Amino acid sequence: MSECQHQWEMTNIQFGFVVFEKCFHCNELRTYFSVEDNPILGDKYREGDHFWSRAENAQSFRFDLKCTRCNHVEKFDDLMGLLHCTGCLPDCEVETLRKKYEAQKTWILVAFGFLPEAKTEPIPPHKLDMLTDYFNQRRDTSRSMIKIVSFNLIEDLSLCKGDFIHDVGMLSLEPPPGRKPLF
Amino acid sequence: MTTQDLITKIGLKPLSKFEHRDVEGVFVSDMLSDVMAGAKSGNLWLTIQTHKSIVPAANLVDVSAVIITSGKEVPQDTVDLASKYNIAILSSDLATFELVGKLYGLGLGAK
Repeated sequence: MSECQHQWEMTNIQFGFVVFEKCFHCNELRTYFSVEDNPILGDKYREGDHFWSRAENAQSFRFDLKCTRCNHVEKFDDLMGLLHCTGCLPDCEVETLRKKYEAQKTWILVAFGFLPEAKTEPIPPHKLDMLTDYFNQRRDTSRSMIKIVSFNLIEDLSLCKGDFIHDVGMLSLEPPPGRKPLF
Repeated sequence: MTTQDLITKIGLKPLSKFEHRDVEGVFVSDMLSDVMAGAKSGNLWLTIQTHKSIVPAANLVDVSAVIITSGKEVPQDTVDLASKYNIAILSSDLATFELVGKLYGLGLGAK
């Protein structure tokens, strides 16, 4: 176990798109990161028993974290993005944590892995702690702090109305309409 | 320099409820991912984006204020969310380029 008190910085930053695809046969959702210039919405193709259709693209980025003290690099290619909890499900564990931590001026964000892999192999807790440390090291923590939690705490993904911090509809100068549920 | 100083000197219009704080540098971008990757704590964030996703992004990287340029109208749900998180949303009728010039003239640059 490293004794280093890590001081993180972003490295290997790569801009691209998070692509959301839905199988119109079984309704399964899958997501992946693409560095295509402009992934085409509505693109349909068959893969085994699935009939995938691109439902949404979100401009996003991926990155790794590097410790400036010991040069350790932690890869975050399994991180799809961060979601802001809107408190939509009163009994959701994220909402319970949100209320508890906001009283201490600590803001909760939910880390999503890529689907469907993340449902069985979520981002491990030690990496969520690294993300939490990183974003707190970037801020004035005397004012407020950040805590990153796993999306596995969401009570029912199909009902979650949280907002991804992704660039969706940002090419329009008008505010986009409410985002359709993805799950 | 503080957010209060900027409001007075440049005539920015405060839209949300927030506590004034020190300003350190300026970051200009209309992409949330760019802000998450590059903005620094205390930066002023200049953008024409107004939808409410700017609030959690601003909160995540701890900017001192978000300035909506070009007089763009900001939806009330964005303002309400910003007030909840003590995020300063300020509005300016100036285009981003003109506002950057004024901020530079006041001694602010990239942090």
